[in-house]
Amino acid sequence: MKGEAQTGRDLLSRVPTLADTSPRKYNKRRRLIETFLAVGVPGSLIALWQLGFHYEWIDNRFYASPWEIVSSKKLREAELWSEIWTSVQRMLKGFFAGSLLGVLLGVLMGVSRLLRAALDSLLTALYTVPKLALIPVFVTLFGFGDLPRIALIAVTVFFFVWISTMSAIMGVEDGYREAALSFGANKWQIFRHVLFPGALPQIFVGLRIAAGVAVLMLIGVELVLASDGLGALIEKGRTLFLPELTYVGIAISALLGLTFTYLVRILGRVLVPWAPEDQTPNQN
Amino acid sequence: MRKRSCKIEAIEVEKVFSADSEDEVHALGPLDLQVQDGEFVCLVGPSGCGKSTFLRIVAGLLNPTTGRVDIGINPENPTPISMVFQDYGIYPWKTVEGNIRFGLEISGISKSRTKEVAGHWLERMDLTAFAGSYPDTLSGGMRQRVAIARALAVEPEILLMDEPFAALDAQLRQLLQDELLAIWQKEQRTVLFVTHSLEEAIVLGDRVIVMSSRPGKIVLDQKVPFERPRSPELRAQSDFNEFKNELWLCLKGEVEHYLERVNSVEGKIGSNDEG
Repeated sequence: MKGEAQTGRDLLSRVPTLADTSPRKYNKRRRLIETFLAVGVPGSLIALWQLGFHYEWIDNRFYASPWEIVSSKKLREAELWSEIWTSVQRMLKGFFAGSLLGVLLGVLMGVSRLLRAALDSLLTALYTVPKLALIPVFVTLFGFGDLPRIALIAVTVFFFVWISTMSAIMGVEDGYREAALSFGANKWQIFRHVLFPGALPQIFVGLRIAAGVAVLMLIGVELVLASDGLGALIEKGRTLFLPELTYVGIAISALLGLTFTYLVRILGRVLVPWAPEDQTPNQN
Repeated sequence: MRKRSCKIEAIEVEKVFSADSEDEVHALGPLDLQVQDGEFVCLVGPSGCGKSTFLRIVAGLLNPTTGRVDIGINPENPTPISMVFQDYGIYPWKTVEGNIRFGLEISGISKSRTKEVAGHWLERMDLTAFAGSYPDTLSGGMRQRVAIARALAVEPEILLMDEPFAALDAQLRQLLQDELLAIWQKEQRTVLFVTHSLEEAIVLGDRVIVMSSRPGKIVLDQKVPFERPRSPELRAQSDFNEFKNELWLCLKGEVEHYLERVNSVEGKIGSNDEG
């Protein structure tokens, strides 16, 4: 009957695939492929880089090979680790100060229309100023110690966190607010039970982006305004014509960025268990 | 009389979510079903009986775990199947007209023809005055009209509707049912319609299929004994209510079954077999 009834027609068939009949096997295979890609793509790029040195496609007077970086004597010197520690401290201090201020002002501006009216355009204007251009101002303000460096990182982080917090608070659905109001919740209760937890997933997206930016800014600041730390190391490599040193510095800052963003991500997952996985960069 | 042929044929279709793991859920089947060309079939059943799952399998959004669904289509038709969803589906970033044009644009129909067809459906669904409005400014009933217009504008051979009126209030619901009835009686497409409402199923359908609680199987496959074309007044007839009660007796058992299990397993809806 079927064959006859469908003459001159196409047959669309919905049939099971491997993903349907044995999803466990399918997922296992998919995870395997994903892991392979996650390791394989950076791995082969590094291999290509090394190969470039081997066949002298790349001038080894100006650039360092992956092997040179990994086997660098610098890595075994205690001095390097103290440089890293200096940098990490600056970054953490700047990140926490900036995030705290960002969340605070973001929340206040998110709930208060008047505050938004007063500060929104001003902060947006300042947001676009390249922060490294503020170095002279900050040095005058904070002297020559670590403070201007930390402050620059903090200011950069602040803007990212501020914007995402403010829009997160404003974006909490009216229905949630109304439900709390109907129970007679006061302003603080609404904030504590509804607005803040409702905004938290989005705030963490901001924090994660800011974590990457903090590393970016750290190296930038140290390049221009420090005699120690990773940025200074990179610069020293350039001035002393030791490419190996520069590339060790670059590789470590890349790893630092990866680790730090990952940690913030984990923290977010622990503190915001109800949030769906988001799709911002630096997954895995 | 138009020649009828088998349009959708489901053969031992089963769906198991997270199969071969510990928390696998046997959602559907085995289910066998034949739908004739031009037939309006309504699926009713308790929550979680897999009726929407079956619809999604027909739509190609899910695959069955075992069995198969064969669908006969005209190879020249770029959009042989279209679907109306319960609430999502129309895009807030497109105007009413933009939403209705969406399916036509996807299937690569010429601009002038798209405009013409969209215009026709705007008028047909009484939406012309809102052509440039965004869905957010419309009422629920209007939005669902847009969704129906969008689905029908591509002239699908098969229209799948997943509780399209569930979110509407009772009056609006009845109004839209009557509109759909009028449209279908004119255009006669194959329709698979999932609903919770027996009344809706009887007013609209040629056949009502009652499904069991999970895993969903067909417990009753009943032809609706009322002549076409039907009018909205059908709902008031005494034999309408008799028929409705007859179906309800069958469905009631399944709903009770479903409730019993929900209560006894306390939230964790298991996959213990029945049927």
